[in-house]
Amino acid sequence: MTIAAPELLAVAGLGKSYGRRRVLDGVSFSVRPGEVLGLVGPNGAGKTTLFGCLAGLLPADAGRVADGVGRVLPPPGRRDLLFYLPDGILPWPEQRIDRLLFRWRDLWSASEARNQGPDLDALIERLGLSRLRGSVAGALSKGERKRFLLALALLSPQPLVLLDEPFDGLDLRQTRDVATLLRQVAAAGRTLFLSIHQLVDAGRVCDRFVMLSDGKVAGEGTLDALRGRAGCLEGSLEEVFLALT
Amino acid sequence: MPSRSRKSPIAALFRLDLGELLAARSFWLLLAMIGPLVGQAFATAVASYGEVSGAGGGPAALAQGLSPLDGIVVPTFGAYDLAVTFLLPFVAIRLLAAERESGAALLLAQTPVSLPARLTVKLGVLGLGGLFAAVPGLLALALWHSYGGHLAWPETANVLLGHLLHALLAVGLAFAAAAVCRSSASAAIATLGLTVGGWALDFVAAGRSGWIAEAARFTPAAALRRFEQGELPLALILALLAASLGAIAFAAAEIDPFAGPTKRHFRAALAVLLAVGAIGAAASIRSGWDLAEDRRNSFPRADEAALARIAQPVRVRANLAAEDPRLTDLERNVLAKLRRVLPDFAVALEAESRSGLFDGEGYGEVWYQVGEKSAMLRSTTEPIVLAQIYELAGIAPPTADSADSADPDTAYPGYPLALAAAPGAAPLFYVAWPLAAGLTCFFRGRWRSK
Repeated sequence: MTIAAPELLAVAGLGKSYGRRRVLDGVSFSVRPGEVLGLVGPNGAGKTTLFGCLAGLLPADAGRVADGVGRVLPPPGRRDLLFYLPDGILPWPEQRIDRLLFRWRDLWSASEARNQGPDLDALIERLGLSRLRGSVAGALSKGERKRFLLALALLSPQPLVLLDEPFDGLDLRQTRDVATLLRQVAAAGRTLFLSIHQLVDAGRVCDRFVMLSDGKVAGEGTLDALRGRAGCLEGSLEEVFLALT
Repeated sequence: MPSRSRKSPIAALFRLDLGELLAARSFWLLLAMIGPLVGQAFATAVASYGEVSGAGGGPAALAQGLSPLDGIVVPTFGAYDLAVTFLLPFVAIRLLAAERESGAALLLAQTPVSLPARLTVKLGVLGLGGLFAAVPGLLALALWHSYGGHLAWPETANVLLGHLLHALLAVGLAFAAAAVCRSSASAAIATLGLTVGGWALDFVAAGRSGWIAEAARFTPAAALRRFEQGELPLALILALLAASLGAIAFAAAEIDPFAGPTKRHFRAALAVLLAVGAIGAAASIRSGWDLAEDRRNSFPRADEAALARIAQPVRVRANLAAEDPRLTDLERNVLAKLRRVLPDFAVALEAESRSGLFDGEGYGEVWYQVGEKSAMLRSTTEPIVLAQIYELAGIAPPTADSADSADPDTAYPGYPLALAAAPGAAPLFYVAWPLAAGLTCFFRGRWRSK
């Protein structure tokens, strides 16, 4: 069975339970090429679970994930299309981050899409990691660690990158810089799907939104479209979210 | 930051895993400890060997009884048995479990490098670490050689092969434990549990026949003993490889992040079943080689040629208890050798108690059956038993002339070496090696954090 969709990724009826607790319930939405899509919702809405299921790293109980030509993607096949950066991980904590970044880049050297990844030196500069190059990953602060993880994600060559809470741990200036970088990455042709629970940050960087509440999609679209659906034409993203959920 | 030329994905992964290995304190602990362990074993072995060779003016043993395999190689490399049992599993567990606990496994799962390739790279990294750990043992052999000591390379290499297979199995089991346990500590306990289980099986199976005795032949300790005796049994090599690969396949199935729990467990169970099947098939293989220089695992070549002509089934029923030394003699002098040369051979042990103290009238009898004919003997001496088997089989025993001409190298000369101590061993193994390992670990940490 296929899903007819011109999008980069089409999700239909995705469901996931932990025991009796239904975490995702009939989640359907689409991701368009080159956009920055925001997954917004309160803590516990199912955002991280949704990302895990999309990446195939968590088995979904129901639903389909298809690519732009409508081919249903089995979990192992999704890694050709998307890369998922989970929140709260600290990989290889005892190794130097410059070496980790070089080795991580080299891991993709056989990939057909490797040229889609940004230049490593430029990325390190943009993320403010230059002065940390000799540091071991485990010695980084929360914000530094987040920027290091973002570098790993952006070095991957897949056309779609899923970032779980990309601004968590960043200060105001860093948040602004990273948001600018992500916009530039999208402008260069990659698609970003960001899970963000701070609606102010989401409003600043995303083109469209998927609103998740209690495991269900409460709304999908641009801010204007969501305003229309919520019936508050001048409302902020926060007000729209409250109206729809 | 300077740009670097790109490496292949496998080379990059190898460097990542090597970085993890070198970051593991358990690896440096293993490296630091293996030197003194080997040194202690080697020094003690050299002193004991020198003593029985007549050092210090004491009476020397018969030269034919002095084998460097038993006197030097096996005790020296016995230190690796300890290291493989108690240290290596922690290193292997860390390499796999730390990746999962830190989230690195989630990232690596999305790279083009497949899961089997990732596990193979980890094996390669552990192999490289094992090479470093093997250096003290090889240094001990070099020292022995420099003293003028004799080494027969086939039997020495055979002992090393035994330890290598033992290490591979330990790594496989550690991977399997790390794959199913939530924490490294639980995985370590599970691995040690398997080790203790192997020892228990050895103990329970001692002096028994049937499936339990067959199973006990393949425990790591029992397997290693055979390599240490100069045997190179094909069945054992294949069984150890099957067990190791089965354990690694089990681990690969259990850590596959793209498979649901049912599929993971099914694949893991399939890996276990296939490994058990392969071990069962391997167990029936009789081929093997006796690499001991003194041919302790073989009858004289003329007798082996004569025995190989017996096409009928040969059965032995021994009414001897597990703890009876006569059973040990019979097993070592006769039964183990017969297993290697007779195509259809089986042994049944009939004593009911472990000590034999309260067994009945027929206790001590050993019945030999060749085809329809059978006879009873109480002797455990090789020539007497062979003569009985030839008589039952109706074939002429080899004559003394034919035995001599067919087996010109049966007379093992023995290699006494009357050394009072092992010169140079103490500073090398107790000081230089731990110091080098400790300093490398220390300066690597400082250099890494700069």
